[in-house]
Amino acid sequence: MIQPMTGKELEYIADSMSNEDAQIKQCAALVATGTTPALKNLCSQMIQTHQQHYDSLLHAISHHQQMAPTQPQQ
Amino acid sequence: MYQQQQKQFVLTEEDLAGGILSDLKRIVREYATAATESTCPDIRQLFTKLTDSTLALQGQMFQAMQQANMYNTSSPVLRQELDKQAKQYQQMKQKTNQFLQQTLGGQQNQTFYTPQMQQSNQQQGNQPYYM
Repeated sequence: MIQPMTGKELEYIADSMSNEDAQIKQCAALVATGTTPALKNLCSQMIQTHQQHYDSLLHAISHHQQMAPTQPQQ
Repeated sequence: MYQQQQKQFVLTEEDLAGGILSDLKRIVREYATAATESTCPDIRQLFTKLTDSTLALQGQMFQAMQQANMYNTSSPVLRQELDKQAKQYQQMKQKTNQFLQQTLGGQQNQTFYTPQMQQSNQQQGNQPYYM
């Protein structure tokens, strides 16, 4: 059974999505300007993995939306 | 004249790779912390998987940078330093085992350190992982 998400968990998820987003952009910068083929290949693969991470985190939020309380809990 | 004074600040490939690597190291730690502080089992599992996946990315990035000569590993530790630490921590282990026998009347022996070449010799039970 899935429990409601805590505020702390949501903060970690939000920070993590920012981290993943920054990684995607940094990897894209290396792919665009780099000269070492091995590094460029790795970074373009890493972009896909970071996108999967981002989607998983986003999915966790949407999964918990229905069971989240609409009023503050005591 | 004016145009000559303009400077372009462009990060080198090595700068970019170094930034990505250090961020990956930080993100691994943040995912591990998030896993330990999660209450929902599914969220904990998500952060655990993300820790593993990011740790793998960091390892790949490190290897690629090392192969491109962008990373200097620290120099090998001297034999006498290894001898000193091994002796010191062997003594600590003996003392702790004595403490365990006095308090619990038994002892358990396991190690998590197993270099790959010796893993195939591993046996079940109370054997140390490093033989």
